[in-house]
Amino acid sequence: MRIWDDLLDEVKENLPTAIECELKLLHSKSALTRFANSQIHQNVDEESAEIYLTIHKDSKTTTISNNITAIKDVGEFVSKALFSLEDSPIDKGWSGLPDKSNSYNGYKDLEESTPDDRAKVVKEFIDEGKSMNAAGYCSTYINNYFVWNSNGLHSSDSSSSAFIDGIFRTDTSAGSSHRGDQTLTSLEGSTAGFEAAQLATDSQNPVDIEPGKYEVVLGHEAVSTILVFLEVYGFNAKSKIDGMSPIIIGEQQFDEKINLVDTPEDPDSIGFKIDASGSKKLNLDVVSNGVPQSYFHTRRTANELGMKNTFHELFGWGENFGGIGTNVKLLSGDKSSEDMISDVKKGIYINEFWYCRVLDPITQVVTGLNRNGSFLVENGKITKPVGRLRFTQSFISALANGNVKSVGNHSRYSDSEFGEGILSVPQLHLKEFNFTGGVSG
Amino acid sequence: MFEYLELAIDSAVNSGAKYSDARILISKSRNIAAKNGELENYNESEKIGIGIRALVGSSWGFYSTYDLSKPSLTNAGIKAFQIAKASSMVSGDDLPFADVPVVEDSYTTPHDENPFSISNTDQVDLLLRSTDEMKKLGSSRASGRLDFWDTEKWFSSSQGHRIYQNIIESGGGISSLAVGDGETQIRSYPQSFGEYRTGGWEVIKSFEFENHTERLAEESQRLLVAPQCPEGTMDLILEGSQLALQIHESVGHAIELDRILGWEAAYAGTSHLDLKKLNQHKYGSELMNIVADATLPGALATFKYDDEGTPAQRVDIVKEGIWTGVLSGRDSAAVAGVKPGGMVRADGFGRLPMVRMTNVGLLPGTSSLDEIIQSTENGVYMETNRSWSIDDLRLNFQFGCEVGWLVKNGKIIDMVKNPTYTGITPIFWGNMDMLASEEEWVFWGTPNCGKGQPSQIGHTGHPASPARFKDTRIGVRG
Repeated sequence: MRIWDDLLDEVKENLPTAIECELKLLHSKSALTRFANSQIHQNVDEESAEIYLTIHKDSKTTTISNNITAIKDVGEFVSKALFSLEDSPIDKGWSGLPDKSNSYNGYKDLEESTPDDRAKVVKEFIDEGKSMNAAGYCSTYINNYFVWNSNGLHSSDSSSSAFIDGIFRTDTSAGSSHRGDQTLTSLEGSTAGFEAAQLATDSQNPVDIEPGKYEVVLGHEAVSTILVFLEVYGFNAKSKIDGMSPIIIGEQQFDEKINLVDTPEDPDSIGFKIDASGSKKLNLDVVSNGVPQSYFHTRRTANELGMKNTFHELFGWGENFGGIGTNVKLLSGDKSSEDMISDVKKGIYINEFWYCRVLDPITQVVTGLNRNGSFLVENGKITKPVGRLRFTQSFISALANGNVKSVGNHSRYSDSEFGEGILSVPQLHLKEFNFTGGVSG
Repeated sequence: MFEYLELAIDSAVNSGAKYSDARILISKSRNIAAKNGELENYNESEKIGIGIRALVGSSWGFYSTYDLSKPSLTNAGIKAFQIAKASSMVSGDDLPFADVPVVEDSYTTPHDENPFSISNTDQVDLLLRSTDEMKKLGSSRASGRLDFWDTEKWFSSSQGHRIYQNIIESGGGISSLAVGDGETQIRSYPQSFGEYRTGGWEVIKSFEFENHTERLAEESQRLLVAPQCPEGTMDLILEGSQLALQIHESVGHAIELDRILGWEAAYAGTSHLDLKKLNQHKYGSELMNIVADATLPGALATFKYDDEGTPAQRVDIVKEGIWTGVLSGRDSAAVAGVKPGGMVRADGFGRLPMVRMTNVGLLPGTSSLDEIIQSTENGVYMETNRSWSIDDLRLNFQFGCEVGWLVKNGKIIDMVKNPTYTGITPIFWGNMDMLASEEEWVFWGTPNCGKGQPSQIGHTGHPASPARFKDTRIGVRG
């Protein structure tokens, strides 16, 4: 890509010798078509190019970042970083730069979708529930990432993704659905629309039920949210360093039916094959038969804990956020959705969680609510839609040994409290889940 | 810059847009984070670009780019129009758009010391000293951060606006985390995630971190051995920063007109408020007076014009407990038949402007925190937010705080840990019976309000003083 080649040449010309340096460029084209009240009301398209320059010398480190337009003179940009370096304190956590052998060349010229393409997918979604009020979005992304460092690494990668996400509302109910894939042409707006419309129709006139402990069958989005919390607060090695992670490697913390992997190498995975340091990500076993196998590491967390780097450094966050898996899969089981429902004596089906927040990271006690399709299940059958409930529940205990009754046999990319395109999960049947409040508080 | 903007706007209008406006931004930021006496992150950033929107029929089209060359600007206008036009496949009634005065003006945030002209060594040292001291006093993880933003913004519209604003914001905070046997406890100052205001380096100096390190380290460790917050229905006393978040979640978001109109239904949710009940709905007790005021000097959401060229203003939201106003923009106000409130802002040049809270605050009462505690027989005083959750109608909420203080017969008798409370918005606000005065009224700022798709982070203000809420459910645990 021309802007990268030009930038890299100029940075190299202006760099002093005997200095460690890392240069990164993220070039993105992102577009999102948004609909509400069953019409497109906002439609946006953005092109961005953000550059990060990190330099390290005499045990000091500094990072400066500009977008391409803010770099009027590359020499000045480099000088600014060098000036900033002089005033920086000693960086004891510096863990070096990956070497040339970690280089990866994955850049390719990906085709953009058009606003008309997105509008078509939106129309497919809305058409599935014409008598109801639809809202949601269809988005597409093309990202190109380049990394060079003074240790000889030169990497690039390109990725594309597309999502349709929406709800239908009636006067008394709502139903939602979500789909994600690498390209817009792979998305079927009508499939997501049909699911959301069905949930909204079936959950009209919900009844209030008493809070308490219930058996639950969790839809894809609800499962995805549990796992993303465990990722960010538990499997993130930075949380371990800070003493806030509940995850203990090698201990049977989860039910043996829980098998979690991170699969950046798989062809169907969304996102880059390299992490922010430019190193190729490797497939990783995260939980095997309920036993945690690994944290997600960055250069610094691996260095600090004396563990092997898993290359899960996020672009743009620097080292502040720690390591996060972005191609996580909960491996499917053998139960269909219908089978899971038929196994429930008295419980609740929950399509999606809403506004979940951690009370204490180390216990993973989280509070949140249900949303967009919840049903009471009695003697193996859905009997009635239920209204709003608040849960206060440890997500570690939710997946603990003996609490997972079955794992669904169909996985898909699911939205989560912290984002989309990073988790592919099946549904889950849990023995017990703690609801602490109802509609009246 | 105005010539650049007008090149893009003319291109959109000549393509067929009914209305168009655009913003060029130069956004500088400096973010510093320290942990246990060592630098964890230092980043300086600068971004320049243009965002242009075009109104065609029932939809906005928006395009943004970093490329400010003349061909790119012309193309940006055409693209904004084409994107809006593509929406016609799934269109509705034409979107009305309220008029506001067309002005040429400029504004700079009043400040004493621009934080970008202060040596970064001074700023880094402040955090290193504070976190080092807390670490030495037994903190498991002593952390601190400072953030500074200097945003230059040029705005033009097809109606003739030409507005330049330079908004300077500063903030940060420190915290001490104690790790015990299967639990963590934290104390933060000035509030969780830091306190943010418009202004310069003087904002940070006013916090006097050095006077709070010892207390934070001590309280975080004492919480590990403190008894659990009791469970039950009793009086709740909220410290100002927690009340600020309570306002943000249960009032600020509920009064956003785009939510009320269903424009945010899929993601942020809607609202329990119905426009038909404006000026009738009882939101809370007679002590409850909420205003949205973008003109408060020093508050985080203070400016002179919003991102649609509407002047900043003060709008009554709740008067003596009755709901009287909304947060609106030029399109949403026209749809709802109210006056545009000047509450539309965007997160940078790359985002479509949307309804955003300004300084949505609770006007002070006549009491004091001491008087509130002295008049409480059985309750818990809670300080500093730790967790927050509320449903998509902004009705059913649950908050957790960092520390609770058990109040019996007018006195604080014990520290309690893991304090939480839950409630339903109008019932909760209806139970507010004591409110501290202007002497304890602080312009709390929230720098991390998420809304919109693509996601936008907003900076909002919430002036508040401590208050008491009768008969609240306290001590919910998992």
